Amino acid sequence: MAPTPNQNSQLVNPLATTAQLSSSGSQLDGVPADLEDSVRFAGASLTQAAGMLLRLPQEIIAQAVVLFTRFWVGPEGGSLIEYGTEIVSASSLYLIAKLSPYPKSPRQILAAYAYLSSLPTSLLTSSLFSSKTPENPDAYYLSEGTYLTQRAALMKTESHILRVLGFNTHVALPYTLCINYLQTLDVFQHPQASALAKRAFAHLNTALLSPQLLYLTHQPPALATAAIYLAAREVGVQLPDNEWWEVFDTDREELGFLVVGLLSMESFVKGEEERWGEGKGRGKVPMTVEAVEAEVERRRILEGGG
Amino acid sequence: MAGGASRWANDKEDEVLEAQRKKEKEEKKRAKLEKQRKLEEAEARRKQAAEPESTQGLQNEVERPVKRRRLSNERDDGDVPDQPRRLMRFVAPEWGPCRHVDNFERLNHIEEGSYGWVSRARETATGEVVALKKLKMDNLNDGFPVTALREIQTLKESRHRHVVDLREVVVGDTLDEFSSVFLVMEFLEHDLKTLQEDMAEPFLPSEIKTLLIQLSSAVEFLHDHWILHRDLKTSNILMNNRGELKLADFGMARYFGDPSPPKMTQLVVTLWYRAPELLLGTTTYGKPVDMWSVGCIFGELLTKAPLLQGKNEVDELAKIFELCGIPTEDSWPGFKRLPNAKSLRLPRTPQTQGSIIRSKFPFLTGAGAALLTSLLSLNPERRPSAAEMLAHPYFKEDPRPKATAMFPTFPSKAGQEKRRRVASPSAPQRGQAPKIDAGEVDFSGIFAGRDLEESGAGFQLKLV
Repeated sequence: MAPTPNQNSQLVNPLATTAQLSSSGSQLDGVPADLEDSVRFAGASLTQAAGMLLRLPQEIIAQAVVLFTRFWVGPEGGSLIEYGTEIVSASSLYLIAKLSPYPKSPRQILAAYAYLSSLPTSLLTSSLFSSKTPENPDAYYLSEGTYLTQRAALMKTESHILRVLGFNTHVALPYTLCINYLQTLDVFQHPQASALAKRAFAHLNTALLSPQLLYLTHQPPALATAAIYLAAREVGVQLPDNEWWEVFDTDREELGFLVVGLLSMESFVKGEEERWGEGKGRGKVPMTVEAVEAEVERRRILEGGG
Repeated sequence: MAGGASRWANDKEDEVLEAQRKKEKEEKKRAKLEKQRKLEEAEARRKQAAEPESTQGLQNEVERPVKRRRLSNERDDGDVPDQPRRLMRFVAPEWGPCRHVDNFERLNHIEEGSYGWVSRARETATGEVVALKKLKMDNLNDGFPVTALREIQTLKESRHRHVVDLREVVVGDTLDEFSSVFLVMEFLEHDLKTLQEDMAEPFLPSEIKTLLIQLSSAVEFLHDHWILHRDLKTSNILMNNRGELKLADFGMARYFGDPSPPKMTQLVVTLWYRAPELLLGTTTYGKPVDMWSVGCIFGELLTKAPLLQGKNEVDELAKIFELCGIPTEDSWPGFKRLPNAKSLRLPRTPQTQGSIIRSKFPFLTGAGAALLTSLLSLNPERRPSAAEMLAHPYFKEDPRPKATAMFPTFPSKAGQEKRRRVASPSAPQRGQAPKIDAGEVDFSGIFAGRDLEESGAGFQLKLV
């Protein structure tokens, strides 16, 4: 007796189907799954960083990250061999910002991405605003010619995103639900309440970058509930000692899965930093078609040699 | 819920064990309590049943604590089954790539004009007839036009009986240039404008009521979902042959909020349906702009001609003031502060100030005139909301709204049907009058076969 909701309800996101989760355009093109995870993670963090540079509200950035993630999913989704991660990230942000009350011009978007790609690291999660500005502004100067080429690519990629997603640009987010649930749980009298809310939001932001694609597999109410559950544990706020999550339409199994997913992010990010961090391992994550092809080729040679 | 084997509920497990031990000790006492509690519960349920208004959510809230108590204290009680609770589960929509427009076979153009290039088409696989709307791509410097994106977004959100159904979006070959993106929508036989042009008489009062109810229910739905249509007019209102009206063309639609987002463009709504505050250049507006258009459509349905046919913005404003009176600080506080109002020079003669709507529509009942006057209030605050409009006494008085099934049908212009012309001879032309040659005309066949006809009391049945 599942009600068929309004397609664009704020409670419901389109979810990836099993077929879409089991394969992807990149994997069909021979990109190893772990490389795909790394690139997608780096691209999602890049979108987040660019959105912050452009001073977009987090809800806009989050929508762009979800759109970016959806694009790569499924056999009919985009392939890393065909589309550059950077430009897909830029186009998602441009597209979502255009629909929002905070539109950004192509030039603003491209300038932000030019700056970010001039940074020595492609893992922008923790070190974005602590790392030093490149000393040579030439590194991120966008010449008129480059701008025009990149703008054309931006528009072209935008149309590809729209086509792959069937023009479905709707993204429902768990942030407001999260506040609403906290109010329902009556925790705002608690002295730790704001710490709890902040922590829950932090989890929701982290989940955007998850290699388990949590925003593509779970609905916003479940995400909000899991974030609250975990945050309350961490901050030490006592929540009702019964199955309160069921009030928010999340069952124990789903809650457990999401909590484990959220908890696993820390080690995943550490692993990524080990592999791709500044001065470590293999340098920057391949974010363009050429770089991904080179990386795939390099691995093939290594495997053949070893 | 199932036994506390989960690692996320350690404390609950302990609690349950403790409760069990306690239970063994105090079984008799508890049984007594339980009886009393059940009585209370029954009482509570009776109360709940007496409240028909209580929603599902409220009921859940009332029921949940009861179940919780059962869980923690009386797990093993035979007569209290541990029912699994039903959680809300949505069917998650999916996404997939656009199909190609070649899946559709174009039949004919419907109308090229205000609402883009629309053609009638048949889906090759299913044989279903749909309307294909080719999106207008004007400003390609900004990529895919935001108006088109908004149209798709808002139409997708608006699943309503009186809003046209957007099935999918399909693309042509040259997507990179954005030149061929098509919306696949359900096909409706008429639009209200073309239909009215072909009608000899305006709709009957009962039909107008039905149309208005359908229209305002669609507008109510949109406003409830924070969508402003911003281009309500008769050519954007489609109708099928079953008397059902559907709102179409969301090319101007956008989401709004309360308070309304700042700096919205005032260049919306076709001139004849544009509210006075838009003409006066406001950039913060909301639902009342749609309600003004509904008022204009109401007037148009009554007379079969657009109500306020201004030649330009100034003329439109003049026509509005002519019909609805001159705004004053009393009737519309603050209108003088609107951007374009400064250059306005209004006559101060008192006799031109009143509204002449009542006298312009002499055949409208008092309630009808009151509704029209309130929809066409100059002050946006005074216009009723769509929900208020639906509750208006005009729709309750006689003649009652006509059932949609009883609506007359018309030949569909969009479906390329033609009105069957009754061949009537044209007037005689100048020149030689044709002569009847009496010798060659034989009238004898006219009454042939008369004797074969059955004759009855009031009418005759021809049997040939």
